[in-house]
Amino acid sequence: MAQKNEAVVEKYSKATRILHHTHTIAFVILFLTGIVLFIPQLSFLAQDSWTRILHRIAAAIFIIAPLIYFILKPKAAIEALKEAFTWGKEDIGWLKAAPRYYFLSDEEGMPPQGHMNTGQKLWWFIVVVFGALFILTGLVMWILKTIAPAMLLQWMVFVHDVAFIVTGAMLFVHIYLGVIHPMMTGAWGAITKGTVSAEYAKSHHGLWYDKQLKKGNAKGK
Amino acid sequence: MAEKAILYDATRCTACRGCQSACKQWNENDAIIPTKGNGVKSKNWGSYENPKDLSPNTWLKITFNEVEHYGEVDWLFNRRSCMHCGKPACVKVCPNGTLYIDPIYGFVGLNKDTCTGCGYCVEFCPFDVPRLEGSSILGKTKSSKCVACMQPGLNRLDAGYEPACVKTCPTDALLFDDRDKLITIAKEKVAVLKTKGFTNATLYGEKEMGGLHVMYVLNDTPDKYGLPVDPRFPDTAIVWQDVIQPIGWAVGGLTILGLALNYIIAREAKMDKTLPGEKEKK
Repeated sequence: MAQKNEAVVEKYSKATRILHHTHTIAFVILFLTGIVLFIPQLSFLAQDSWTRILHRIAAAIFIIAPLIYFILKPKAAIEALKEAFTWGKEDIGWLKAAPRYYFLSDEEGMPPQGHMNTGQKLWWFIVVVFGALFILTGLVMWILKTIAPAMLLQWMVFVHDVAFIVTGAMLFVHIYLGVIHPMMTGAWGAITKGTVSAEYAKSHHGLWYDKQLKKGNAKGK
Repeated sequence: MAEKAILYDATRCTACRGCQSACKQWNENDAIIPTKGNGVKSKNWGSYENPKDLSPNTWLKITFNEVEHYGEVDWLFNRRSCMHCGKPACVKVCPNGTLYIDPIYGFVGLNKDTCTGCGYCVEFCPFDVPRLEGSSILGKTKSSKCVACMQPGLNRLDAGYEPACVKTCPTDALLFDDRDKLITIAKEKVAVLKTKGFTNATLYGEKEMGGLHVMYVLNDTPDKYGLPVDPRFPDTAIVWQDVIQPIGWAVGGLTILGLALNYIIAREAKMDKTLPGEKEKK
């Protein structure tokens, strides 16, 4: 929809996009090499531990990539983390309006949203919290396998599995909303090119767009 | 063929450790003796017991327990190896049937070829028996434990023999037979021990963990022999396998179903709305 010379606003910086893609690839590898343990028909793939080695390589990327981001862009990282835990009344309004929006294309009653809308923020919140749980429980199983008490390891397996169910299911929702949903027009461009059209920013992320205007990051019409 | 079992009579055991050696020899689990100069590198850790623990190539060992025993200090010997549970937690948590209950004999087998090395059997075993060989840091591991001499190519039971440990036992402290027969023998032994004044004498393994396939005649309580008094199937294994995993599949399935449904409805709704709108623009 966006024309070539239309005004655009940067939504995700280059560093953020690289982190997103790296983390996505790592997570998909972790997902696939993890799920083979739950499908007995596929577990021949895990024989001789090859998936376990891949799982560890992907895990290392999954842990190190955000750390590098944190070192290179500490301000942006802290701001992003804050965003995951900042919830307001526009979020309640979003939750009320979301079913009609996502099923019936009814944009009425959708309150203006910040940099991330409530749904995106919810996913981001899950990524942060369950990502931390994944790393914590995973590291215990990885490094302390032969040292930690059996009971602790049992709970680590358990929590890792719960985190897998929550994030695994939500990953489908995330990909669907970003790539497939008929109403999603700007999200794909935002994460691939980094920018959204000013028009899209105004209609979908009004609160954030106003701030960008004030800061001079976007030109008003 | 009837369910088989091994009966260990601790009161007949002399701790000669012939079973320990025979186990290694038959199953090709060579002992590695560390050397130093022209001698053996060894370290006194305050016990005659050796090696200190089960390991990927030590599937059976005799333990030496110095405990108070009917008012005196005594040295109680015990056989430590896989118990071959009737309801094994390791088989429950094993992702691909690498661990299985042998349909003929009832022992718990382990198929090394299919083992993924996840190590769930290690942390869920109530007797702390399986060990991982290989590096768990790198992730390339295999589980390892006593398979009652049922290794492919080295299967003594199929050949009509008793397990190597039983064969070699010089005092008949180890017996191999139908499980029912062994229970009868064990109960007689316990009764005799009680008449001799060992009032705590007991048969361990008849009911524990769905009925063990390695049972113990003890002349004192199991804890004196380093055995868990009430071994339990870990609750976490049940919640994980029977509750969380089915929920996981349901959540995953319903999510995908919901998204498909959403796509159908949302596409229709969008077409209804945007078509007249786009006409206006043009």
